[in-house]
Formats: sequence, C-alpha cells, structure tokens
Amino acid sequence: MLKGKLKLPEKALKAIPDQIGSLLKGFDDDKEGEKEGPNPAFELGEELETFQPNGFGSDRENDIEIIADEELELKTRSKTDKEIGSTSVSKHVLKVDEKRSDLEYELSQTEINLEKLQRIASAGIPDGGSLRATAWKLLLGYLPASRDLWEKVLAENRLKYAELKEELLLSPSEFSRKKEETRGSGKNVDAHTAGPLRRHDVSTEDHPLSLGEASAWNRFFEYTEIAEQIDRDLQRTHPEMKFFSGESSLSKKNREAMRNILLLFAKLNPTTHYVQGMNEVLAPIYYVFSVDTDEQNAANAEADSFGCFVRLLSDSVDHFCQQLDNSSVGIHSTLSRLKEMLKVNDEELWQHLEFTSKVNPQFYAFRWITLLLTQEFEFNNVLRIWDSLLSNPFGVQDMLLRICCAMLLCAKGRLLSGDFAANLNLLQHYPEVSVEHLLQVARDLDSDTDPSSFCLSP
Amino acid sequence: MVLVLAIGDLHIPHRAPDLPAKFKSMLVPGKIQHIICTGNLCIKEVHDYLKTVCPDLHITRGEYDEESRYPETKTLSIGQFKLGLCHGHQVIPWGDLDSLAMLQRQLDVDILVTGHTHQFTAYKHEGGVVINPGSATGAYSSITYDVNPSFVLMDIDGLRVVVYVYELIDGEVKVDKIDFKKTTAAAH
Repeated sequence: MLKGKLKLPEKALKAIPDQIGSLLKGFDDDKEGEKEGPNPAFELGEELETFQPNGFGSDRENDIEIIADEELELKTRSKTDKEIGSTSVSKHVLKVDEKRSDLEYELSQTEINLEKLQRIASAGIPDGGSLRATAWKLLLGYLPASRDLWEKVLAENRLKYAELKEELLLSPSEFSRKKEETRGSGKNVDAHTAGPLRRHDVSTEDHPLSLGEASAWNRFFEYTEIAEQIDRDLQRTHPEMKFFSGESSLSKKNREAMRNILLLFAKLNPTTHYVQGMNEVLAPIYYVFSVDTDEQNAANAEADSFGCFVRLLSDSVDHFCQQLDNSSVGIHSTLSRLKEMLKVNDEELWQHLEFTSKVNPQFYAFRWITLLLTQEFEFNNVLRIWDSLLSNPFGVQDMLLRICCAMLLCAKGRLLSGDFAANLNLLQHYPEVSVEHLLQVARDLDSDTDPSSFCLSP
Repeated sequence: MVLVLAIGDLHIPHRAPDLPAKFKSMLVPGKIQHIICTGNLCIKEVHDYLKTVCPDLHITRGEYDEESRYPETKTLSIGQFKLGLCHGHQVIPWGDLDSLAMLQRQLDVDILVTGHTHQFTAYKHEGGVVINPGSATGAYSSITYDVNPSFVLMDIDGLRVVVYVYELIDGEVKVDKIDFKKTTAAAH
C-alpha cells in the first residue's frame, strides 16, 4: 500500500501538464489528511497515465469503474477530478453524484468528522435531498457531531423555540385569554343574565392604554414599529421567487414564519433589534431548511432556521450595531481589513481603487459583508457560496473577506480601466462570474496575518 | 386583537375646552385600530384630533354637531361582532334600556353604542350589549351637572370582547374591565 502512495505523485506529474501541476500540491496535502488513500491511489496512478487534458473518453471509463468500488475511494477520486478541472457535462453530472455519495457517506457516520465535512462541503453541496440542510446544521453547530444525540437536541431546540414564541410573540389579549381558559371559566354565569354588566377594577392591573414600563400592552406596542418594518422588508425579499413573494398561501406562510423568527430575534436582542437586511440573511437558511425532503425537518424549518440564524448572526451582529461602527469589531474595521487583504494580494489594483479612482470599500463592500453576499449573486449561486462560507475552518468572516477580495480580483481588468463612477457602478452591480472560479481564487489568496500592517494603514 | 375606542359627547368648545390631560396622554396614535364616536364633538378641530389618534373614524350626528353631514346611525362589522352607533338623543326616553333595545334590534347588531346621557352604562340585554361611553370631557348634560369624564376601549378578540372603561374620578384615572362573550346561538 505504501508503494502506491509514493508512486502516484511521479506518475501523475508525468501525465499532467505543468500549469496544473501546482494544483497537485494541494492534492498531496489533502491526501495526508485522508484516513485511507494508498491503495486506490495506486490504481488511479496507472489510469492517470493515459489521461490527457482533452481525453475525456478514457476518463469516462475510469469513472464507471471507480463507482463500482468502495465509497472510500471515491473521496480521493473526486479530488483528483476537481483538480484537473474538466468541463464535460457528463463528467460534471458524475462529479455531482460523487459529491453526493461522499456527503451521504460522511453524514451517515455515527460520529461525524467535522473537519472532513468542512472539506467536502467547501467544494459545494449538491441540491436535493436533505444534504445541504443537514450539512449546514452541522457546520453551524446546531446539530452535534454524534448522530445519536440528534433527535434529542432537535426536539429540545424545537420545544424551546415554541416556548419562546408563546412567551414573547403572543398579543396581550391572546395571552390573557389563555390565562383565563386555564384558570377555568367561572365567568360564564354572566352569559344568560340580562341587566347591567359587572365591572372589575383593573386600575392597578394591565390595560391597553397603560403607559407603564411593566405593562405587557405597552411592551407589545413598542414593537409594532419594528414589526411593521419587518413586514415591509419581507414583502421585498426575493420578489422573483414564488417561495417568498406573491399572495399564494405558501409564500404567506413562509413570510409569517420568517416574521416570527425576525421579531423574536429583535425582542431577544434589544441592543441591535432588527436591522434592515437581516431578512436577506435569513432567507437562504429558511429556504434550504424548508425544501428539505425529510418531512419532519421541513415541518420544523421555522424552529431550526431560528437556531441557525442566531448562530450565524452571532458572528457578525456587531456589523449591524451602529454604535460599534468605528470600534475594532465594527464594520469600518472589517472594511479596513479588506483593503489590507487587497493590498497584500494585488498592490496595483489596491493602488488604483484606493487612490486613483478613490472607490472606498464603504460604498460597495458594506452590503457584501453585512448581508453575507446574498444580494450580489443569483440565489442558487448564493447557496453555493454559503457552502464555502459555512465550511471554512477559520470561520465565516475570514472566508467572507477572501471572497470579497476575490471578487475585486476577478473584475480587475474592468476596474483598472474604469474611473470612480464606472467602478462604483460595476461593484454595486457585480457582473456574473463563474462561482467555482471565484471560490478558487478566494481559497488561493494570501491571508493578511500580519497585525502590524493593519495598524499602519492610513 | 382589535382595539376599538368608543368616545363621545365632548362638547368642545361650548361646554368644555379640551379632553382631560390624563386622557390625552393615554390616547397615543398607533395603538387603536378604530374609533367609534357617538357625536357632539362639536367642531372640526376635534374631528381632526381624533383622526390623528386613528385614521379609521366613525361618527354619528349629535344634536349640537356643527358638521351636518354625519349620519344619524351607523353599523359596522369588526371581527365577529356587529357594532351599531347612534348618538341617542333620537331615542326617547333618553337612556331607556327597552327603547335602546328596540334600536338594537332594528339595526341588527351585537353591540350598540350610544351617548347623550353623559353617564357611562353597560347593559346586557337579550344576547346584545348596550354601551354608553359617557362624556370624555365631563361636559354637563341636559340631565345633570355632575359628570365624570369617561370613555371606553373595546378589545375584540374572536368571539370575546373585553371592555375597558376609563373614568377620571377625583383627578385619577380608574380603569374597569368587563368581559363579554358572544354566544353563537344569539347570532341574528
């Protein structure tokens, strides 16, 4: 087995042209991380000899053969595939199938290896089934790594959500009605007697016009403004998707579920409340959980989305808080980090943007960062990008900055030739790019790990 | 959960200058969904003020109202309840329960709101409820000088109405609560 491990690199290097050879460096690193690899690798080595970048035919045979093998081998096989970067459609379909079986295998383990899941997920999760939903729940830490605990944790969280809803989202009249129902209906005696109605003094208790701090009614009305804002934003979420917009009962139900989640979040976080844009961050999560083919999961999409939304936002909630704008955790500091990253990776472009065309990242990257790129790409691409964001071992924010930087680099040509207005227009309406290419550029970037350079920036 | 304010007989500016300050501080915009006003405001400025509290305003004509185009009676549906509105000076004897019950049957409503007597009353009568919100400014009436300012807020929630009575007694706001459930058999 060891023999095979050593053999592969040389054989592969022989067969594969130089420009792709560098990619194989990545492959080697990956291989070290694998549980097993040698035996299949050895077989692959032989097949690779016949492979030419344009030789799709021979590859197809490889694919069919490998699928018949154990699923473990598929992991290494699919990695090689991606590195070669083929473009044939059938190849793509087969690749997706491999990713799917990779993922299914990993998710079916009793003790899930999160690092491995991160690696697989960062390459993209195929649509359909419950793959994406389950993967995201694991990556966000909503589900624990050991499968046996899943049912218990899910039930616990869903119950907690229902309790929170009852506590915080009921209107005061519904609340008092429920209280009376539990207390028993001794007041029904009034039902049949005519004459003057009995009055009960509630001057010291709660009443709708109460202005007291402790009044449930008063607190309820404080949030009507926020609730209205949430409703307005929800109407504008993804107007092109039937899932969210329109008057169908499905979209109304979805909007109501999202409204509950956002209102609950606002009530539980009095410092930031609800900020316009949180609905956009919630939308992909709620969508993915709702289209989960597992019925139990889809029915509880609201509760699960709330849990994951809170976890996702806990990272970046400081960006939404206006008072923290200029602090070290606020949005301005993040924008500076983006500038630094661009400077480290491409000084020419940085120079052009910063000084020549004076396009401050505040004008375009604010939305990129606070809304986690949901507004910059088509919905399906957003889901793909989020696969990479959530599966980054260094955290969502790190990958987010990398992707932002990659977006700048990918549009370098047009940016260098544009002035302030043209560049701003371009960056605020980011053109369509190949998402895989973008993510690859992001992964390859040098991350700015030198703290002193950050301090010295103007 | 629909909040409906029943108010009337303010007689501004003839018999009272304005609503009591404590009432005004409670009637903030944004909380109330409908206002039903029995009449005798009397001037347009009061109408405008009520409109700022809630844009959905229903008024019937009182005998001293300067706006002559308000209707004599009005009916509206809120939730599961039908409400009827009339100033009450047309119903003789003034404030007589049986005569008001006749009006209620005539309008075919569950809750009849009338005024004119400047006294708060709430009666249950044959499956319907007759409410008089009194005078919100405490203006004197043809019957008595001793009037406590009062108005009524109804919380309509499904088949249940909770009536909150706000009265200003000796400078303090007193709130009373009345529960009323509509029996489905009583639907006309």
